Amino acid sequence: MIQLPLQVTLNDNASFANFVAGENGEALAAVQGDTQRVIYLWGTSASGKTHLLQASCRKAAEQGLQAAYLPLAQMSELSTTVLDDLEQLALICLDDVQAVAGHAEWERVLFHLYNRARDSGARLLVAADTAPAALPITLPDLASRLSWGLVLQLRPLQDAGKLTALQQRARNRGIELPDEVGRFLLARFTRDLPGLLEFLQRLDLASLAAQRKLTIPLIRQLINN
Amino acid sequence: MGLWEKCLGRLEGELSPQQFNTWIRPLHAIEDGASLRLLAPNRFVLDWVNERFIEQINAVVVQLANGRAPRVQIEVGAKRQTAPAPSAAQQGLAPGAVTGAIHGAGRDSGPTWLNPEYTFDTFVAGKSNELARAASLQAAQDVTGAYNPLFIYGGVGLGKTHLMHAIGNYIKQYRPAARVVYLHSERYVADMVKALQHNTIDDFKRYYRSVDALLIDDIQFFAGKERSQEEFFHTFNALLEGQRQVVMTCDRYPKEVSGLEERLISRFGWGLTVVIEPPELETRVAILMSKAEQAQAQLPDDVAFFIAKRFRANIRELEGALRRVIANARFTHRPVSLDLTKEALRDLLALQDKLVSIENIQKTVADYYKMRVADLNSPRRTRNVARPRQVAMALAKDLTHNSLPEIGRAFGGRDHTTVLHACRKVCELKERDTRLAEEYSVLVRILTS
Repeated sequence: MIQLPLQVTLNDNASFANFVAGENGEALAAVQGDTQRVIYLWGTSASGKTHLLQASCRKAAEQGLQAAYLPLAQMSELSTTVLDDLEQLALICLDDVQAVAGHAEWERVLFHLYNRARDSGARLLVAADTAPAALPITLPDLASRLSWGLVLQLRPLQDAGKLTALQQRARNRGIELPDEVGRFLLARFTRDLPGLLEFLQRLDLASLAAQRKLTIPLIRQLINN
Repeated sequence: MGLWEKCLGRLEGELSPQQFNTWIRPLHAIEDGASLRLLAPNRFVLDWVNERFIEQINAVVVQLANGRAPRVQIEVGAKRQTAPAPSAAQQGLAPGAVTGAIHGAGRDSGPTWLNPEYTFDTFVAGKSNELARAASLQAAQDVTGAYNPLFIYGGVGLGKTHLMHAIGNYIKQYRPAARVVYLHSERYVADMVKALQHNTIDDFKRYYRSVDALLIDDIQFFAGKERSQEEFFHTFNALLEGQRQVVMTCDRYPKEVSGLEERLISRFGWGLTVVIEPPELETRVAILMSKAEQAQAQLPDDVAFFIAKRFRANIRELEGALRRVIANARFTHRPVSLDLTKEALRDLLALQDKLVSIENIQKTVADYYKMRVADLNSPRRTRNVARPRQVAMALAKDLTHNSLPEIGRAFGGRDHTTVLHACRKVCELKERDTRLAEEYSVLVRILTS
């Protein structure tokens, strides 16, 4: 009989400490620092944009400041009033801005939020899949403001970096993930970091349930299921 | 550790990172034993939390409160309470980058929302903007004079807002008691809506009609907002009658803003209307030098020229490129050099190179409409030639970084106002002529893929 593990959720969310920088050291430093009021991060999926945005929210909270993370790809169908008065927060993180580029109403509201944040002193971190100049934004006022801040490209981690990130997250769960097991995962499962981290959580529960060490046979079994 | 802080730790584990960071993090908690007040930044967040998370929040509070669970109340609010009246609403904003800017705060004159960095001294003048600068200085020196109202128009990122703040800062410098208010037209509209909701419209009117100088930015956002235009019309008249200075900016010539009332447009023209053009190369270099100095960075001449030549569309883009170079030099502990610049801007430059040239736009448009490039550049103005030419000009404006005069020159030596007219025309046609809209988007696709 399988023993069901107790649903103890582990706080394994994005922080600066668990961000493996790889080639993105400059972006990490810029986001962690406080000299840049507006930062625009762009890169392919799984290049670390969401991680840096959510880690920034965490840091703000640790400093007793209010922050909000807005995944626009999931919010584009909602009313734009979700952005009302957000400039009173200390930090506003806008993820996936490409999802609302070309939507006149969202563009207008983002433009006003930008201006208001500038007046109020709120910090703005913006992320998208392309550079500002390549975003299909139709409101020139917004487009020019997005290219005004510090624009940095993020690059996905190489396999070595992904392995480090995976092992770090595993250690945080009290699991020792041997190099060969990690490499096995990268080779056979997926090389996409968010996917790997999600898989790690399933592995964690499975190894608890089976009360076994995390080994390649166990992983095989899990992949087959 | 406060109760809410403990709850946050628990909720973070129970919710997805996205749910937690989007809906729970922005809440501000006020604890006082018997109650836990959660302030949501706006109505939408409040409703969302109430619908989806409030039970979970309550459960966690009960679990962690050791028997004496406070009552959880959620309402819209901020750390610093905001009030509906315009002046108070503005004071309610969090202090930040412009805190130093609030000249005279604490005096009767109230906050001005001026940015102290935007002065005439920090404004880099050149051929493209010297008229606007001179007019602004005049308006600042003689608030009751002939330059009232002063209307500054031009494209995005060319320095309109800078001049407006410069006027305000100048007035405050020489007349510290003067009530100067800068605001974006959107805030005027929003404050008015709030005032109507809270029944404080009289305060609102009194406030704006009693200032010595009203600086109002981007008035094109008044378009279609009739109630705001009506109120602004009266404010405007009251200020002018009282010989108070009014300065406005707009992204285009007043008559070209559709959705603005005729009587407003005609009044805007009572004083002086000046245009700001995109800066020419020398001015762009001077702007970069000035910005680098403000950032306390060394900027060699060759680097300044390199950036100025590559980034032409507007000053924000220029500043963005410089910011990137300086940040990279500081991060890598290297001096700013041409090599470092090319490296730091590699991605932006590669992107620019991918962007299309006027020449290939002309060729593509000519092919598409089955005509010759020579026709596009000819003086002929018959409609079957003029329309494709306008489309090509609009595409050149949208897809290249060339300035309007450059685009005009490339089309048989035409004036930049012809280009501006073409862009407006195409923009307008796209709205009501679906066929043209379709043709335009097909062309964009051909050119950019």
